[in-house]
Amino acid sequence: MTTLTALARALAVESGYAQPVRTVRHVHLSDRPLVFIPLQLAGEANAPLAALVGDDREKPRLLAVYEPRNRNQRFEFAAELAESVILPYIEGYAAGEPGEKDAYADAPQVLVPGPAAVTFTRLLGRSTRFRRTDGEWAVPASVPVLGWWLTYLAERAEHPSSSLLLPMTKALSAHWATGQSEAEDQNLASLVRWIAPPPGMTGFEAAREAEDPQAWPPAGPATDPDFDRDVLVGLIAMIRDASGVGGAALERARGALAAALATQLEQTWALMWQGVDLLRSLPEGGHVAGRWGDDRFSFTTNMRYFREGGFPQARRDGAVRAAARLSRLEREQRELEVGSAYDDPLVMAEYRMTGEAFRGTVTEAQRDRRVQEPGKKGAGALRPLIVVEAAEDVLVAPDAKVTCPAHPKQKGVVRDVRPQPGGATVRVEIELSGGMGRGSGPAPAGTMPAVGEAVVYTTLTGEFMPLPKFPDPELTPWTHGGPPPPYVPRDEDGNEAWQ
Amino acid sequence: MDETVEELEERITALRAGVRRAVLDGDGPLAGALRRDLRHAERAWDAALDSASTDSASTDSASTAWPGTDAGDAAAPVRPGVMHVPSARDPAGPGAEPGLGDGRGRGALLPLREQVHEALSLLQVPAAPRLIATVHEAFFALAFPTARLTSLRRDEERSFRSAPFARPYYICAALSADYLAPSRGLLAISTWPAERRIIGSLSPRVDFLVSAINVARAIEQVPEPVPAARALLSRFAANVRGSSGAGGRSFGPAGRIDPQVVIRAAQAELEVHAEEDQRTRAGAARRARDQLDDAQQLFGAGIRRPRSGEDDEDEDEDGRPGRKAAGGR
Amino acid sequence: MDGGFTDIEARLARLRGGQLPETYDARKIAALAGNPGCRRRSVLDAAAVEKRRVASYIGFPAPFGQSPFAMARESAFQAQVKDNGAMELLALLREVLGLDLAEAHYDDLGDVAGNVNQGLRYAHTRQVLTAVPQRRGTMFDHPLLRFRVAGRHAYLQPDLVAFRHDATFHVVMVRSFPVIDGQADSSGVAAAAIQSAVFVLALRDLLAGAGLDGDAMVHHETVLVTPRDFANQPVASLLDVRKQLATVRRQVARMDRVEDIIAPLPGDLTFDLDADDKGVPRRRPGDLADAVGCVPASYSPECLGACEMCFFCREEASEHGDTGVLGKAVREDLGGIESVARALRLARGQGPGPVPPDLAEAATIVRRAARLRGEAMAGDGAVPGHGAVPGAGTVINEGTGAS
Repeated sequence: MTTLTALARALAVESGYAQPVRTVRHVHLSDRPLVFIPLQLAGEANAPLAALVGDDREKPRLLAVYEPRNRNQRFEFAAELAESVILPYIEGYAAGEPGEKDAYADAPQVLVPGPAAVTFTRLLGRSTRFRRTDGEWAVPASVPVLGWWLTYLAERAEHPSSSLLLPMTKALSAHWATGQSEAEDQNLASLVRWIAPPPGMTGFEAAREAEDPQAWPPAGPATDPDFDRDVLVGLIAMIRDASGVGGAALERARGALAAALATQLEQTWALMWQGVDLLRSLPEGGHVAGRWGDDRFSFTTNMRYFREGGFPQARRDGAVRAAARLSRLEREQRELEVGSAYDDPLVMAEYRMTGEAFRGTVTEAQRDRRVQEPGKKGAGALRPLIVVEAAEDVLVAPDAKVTCPAHPKQKGVVRDVRPQPGGATVRVEIELSGGMGRGSGPAPAGTMPAVGEAVVYTTLTGEFMPLPKFPDPELTPWTHGGPPPPYVPRDEDGNEAWQ
Repeated sequence: MDETVEELEERITALRAGVRRAVLDGDGPLAGALRRDLRHAERAWDAALDSASTDSASTDSASTAWPGTDAGDAAAPVRPGVMHVPSARDPAGPGAEPGLGDGRGRGALLPLREQVHEALSLLQVPAAPRLIATVHEAFFALAFPTARLTSLRRDEERSFRSAPFARPYYICAALSADYLAPSRGLLAISTWPAERRIIGSLSPRVDFLVSAINVARAIEQVPEPVPAARALLSRFAANVRGSSGAGGRSFGPAGRIDPQVVIRAAQAELEVHAEEDQRTRAGAARRARDQLDDAQQLFGAGIRRPRSGEDDEDEDEDGRPGRKAAGGR
Repeated sequence: MDGGFTDIEARLARLRGGQLPETYDARKIAALAGNPGCRRRSVLDAAAVEKRRVASYIGFPAPFGQSPFAMARESAFQAQVKDNGAMELLALLREVLGLDLAEAHYDDLGDVAGNVNQGLRYAHTRQVLTAVPQRRGTMFDHPLLRFRVAGRHAYLQPDLVAFRHDATFHVVMVRSFPVIDGQADSSGVAAAAIQSAVFVLALRDLLAGAGLDGDAMVHHETVLVTPRDFANQPVASLLDVRKQLATVRRQVARMDRVEDIIAPLPGDLTFDLDADDKGVPRRRPGDLADAVGCVPASYSPECLGACEMCFFCREEASEHGDTGVLGKAVREDLGGIESVARALRLARGQGPGPVPPDLAEAATIVRRAARLRGEAMAGDGAVPGHGAVPGAGTVINEGTGAS
């Protein structure tokens, strides 16, 4: 939360409509995303109940588990989800064999309603990836494959810059501020309706209306307890009874359950695609393609590993792996912040708010200034100096390294910060280097800010410390548990009861 | 039904193989189509089995009805709880094999009280309905819903009171050592010595250990124990210290438990508890014989109101150093 | 018990009116710790008003429900670990508490010779748990404890209490949410921890009442038993609930001081539904809502998962235009300004009158934010796509001058 977002929320309260807090879209959005809305049975550890899933908004596919507490039916669900939807969708992005340094042209993107569905995906992956396809507890071959990929997707969802598995509430609330709390934004229906209410209603009214779970079933994976009590209990009992009879009675009972589950999923399906439309209405930010490139590369690498017969992911990371991963995630977070600020003036405004950036007008520009470095001969290095007059507080101190998003390759060092008489403006001197060609004359026009130009300078830079070196897992110190045994799936993993 | 159960099973096997091949070949559409066929075949198989069991149930049900049990059971031959055959796809018995052989027919002919008697005779100690049902499924190849046992004790008591000792045995209650009241949810056999039907503080543990020993012994006598029997033993073994292998509490189907190890471990712990438990049970049994009539000795003393409010002393400890006698005040 | 206390009791009874006092369980007592600063909640709880009923009657039914599947699963798992002389539970307790082999007693305190009267069960529990140690036993199933809240006793039933050879008791909680690869749902663990703290306090009271050193004898580590991974196999973990003990103690003490909150309220105030002899309320809902409104609330979004009155209080706070409706963080980011309208007036530099000195800093912050937002939204011209969204792109009038 920042003051700018808080202000946007206040404006949303006043106007009755959600307010944008981003001017461009900061997440990748596939041309053909796969929408996945899972439901689970209350009280059980990750017992799938139903899912509405597909990449065609006109043709959602309903998968239902008719006795969610029966482990065989759970695996049938997993197999059907794998074979009819998820695996063909993923495979569709992995045709051919790209070179060692190349990535597939595109990658799969799975959209789920919210963070709880990401957890569901992770746990479904966890409960299926170790399954054995032979022996007493054999499952269909597609089940552990599904587990492999769901685990991969859920892991990527923890990467701040990844869009492979995207929770819709998170994506929408990153771009719009509603007039309700963050907790209430977790409700997909009320969030979407704050942003885009039906005609004749304010966002506030539409969102409040969407809080009635009877009219607007929860987006899952948890179901409405009243639905469980009033509808589901009876239908599941009916199916159990009909199982003894079989034939038409059983088909009828299953049909009734499927129809009831569909009522709990259809509105969420529509909301998910409405969310897709809303996100598409924003132009894509400049750094999004680069981040998606990382996703494509990650997908490609993992597909290669998978096809080479890679083991399922371990239950837990060893100490070294965990530390390296954390460090990578932190770095990605920082990269995401910088990229977003460069792409989006509303994000940059947040840094101006905290003094990490300032905006002003260039009043002087010495394009041919050169500096003689100690011990070097010649004309000296080209170090133009500009003066920026800012009509706002400048908290950047002398010697700070700054960058102008319009000239991201050019480095600046603050030489002087001086409030002007009268206190209305601040005069900032910045020395520039790089990005001006190799000529011997002054910096060519257009390679650096010109007098009269409005510029933003920020201490946020795209330069990062190199990732710290971690020891090889084999060298894990004993204080961190010693070297982990290399992960090899054991029989125990596959035989774990799932009841 | 167009195909017989055997034909369906052949087709299911073939379809499973086909699905696996198609998935390995990366042929998603074919795999999906085959899986659909497979599911249809499996449903047909279920239906075929169900209709088979329904047929046999309707012929048997007349003889399973027992006077005094709920009339509904006899009157509803289509949904006979007794006949319920756990299939491999049934939550009641994951891993139970569809074909179990001869045992089922015999068990099905027995009235419920006989089945309970069979299971309790194997365990030799008072047990809760759930364990009785599990033991029966494991050793007599028949599961029955535990809900049906709740009315059994009441029916037996009615029967006893109208014609005492008319039957060779009754399914009766276990009595709590302190108040000689029926112990919640436990069933016993009337011909057992009173001591065995008394439940003191240590008795639940002692009875569990005895059950474990008797289940282990029974398994040794069965040439091919069904999965339900092995599952029961490994569950028991996991909770007797020193009776299961490494890890102690893993009961995957791969690990076969050695019944002798379970027996030795349970006996070792039993020795620790036996004396104290015996003392409690003998004392309470003596009181039961002195204070209760025949029906009460089997089905428990009625609920006795305390004299007054909270600070009631136990009224039935008669000076004996029972565990609950000495208040901390 | 002195006379003053009786006055309070009478006053609380009047507030409650003809309704039966709501019974407390550990869940409800634990929930009291949620928003200790809310006077409305303190008064309603102290008077044992059934908030759920009041909330629905005044048109704001609480969104709390539990799925029958969740309840069935919970009781099935409870039954499973207690089956066969609690064999699974004993194996776990031996592991986490280091019980001796001889410590295997199991006493069911769920009834007294078939009688389930609470007073009787409580007396029986007290008798059994305060017996001399060598006769005390190990596992006590369904014990019944008492806990004093706002001058009344509530009966509480922990899942199980275990007693160990070193003369310490441990409260045992059995919950059906899974621990998967050593990770459990944190909200589930937090709820179990605070509930078990309530049981610890109640058990300490019971022992202290018998002249024993309850604080020393009831361990602050409670045992949480949950299913492991995706199977039904149970696993036990120890929870250190010292912090939760302090929280519950503080909140309960606060409720005992409820007279301070009641004192300024109108003498004839009541939350009575005025039910007729068939139990049908006759009071005008608006009238009851006004009565509830007499006691100030302090609504925050955290109330949504915790208090039955939450929708009523949210509506009230929304009508007042409270920034707190948006969350504590938003209020802080707006410099602590409590009203949305005022925050926006300050942001726009619209009077009336000069900025009061105590809001000068907050005003500076919001004006700066408003100016930056306006610049950023306008600076890049039209933002495509916004046209479709009514009200989107509302730009604040720029404040005049910077700081």
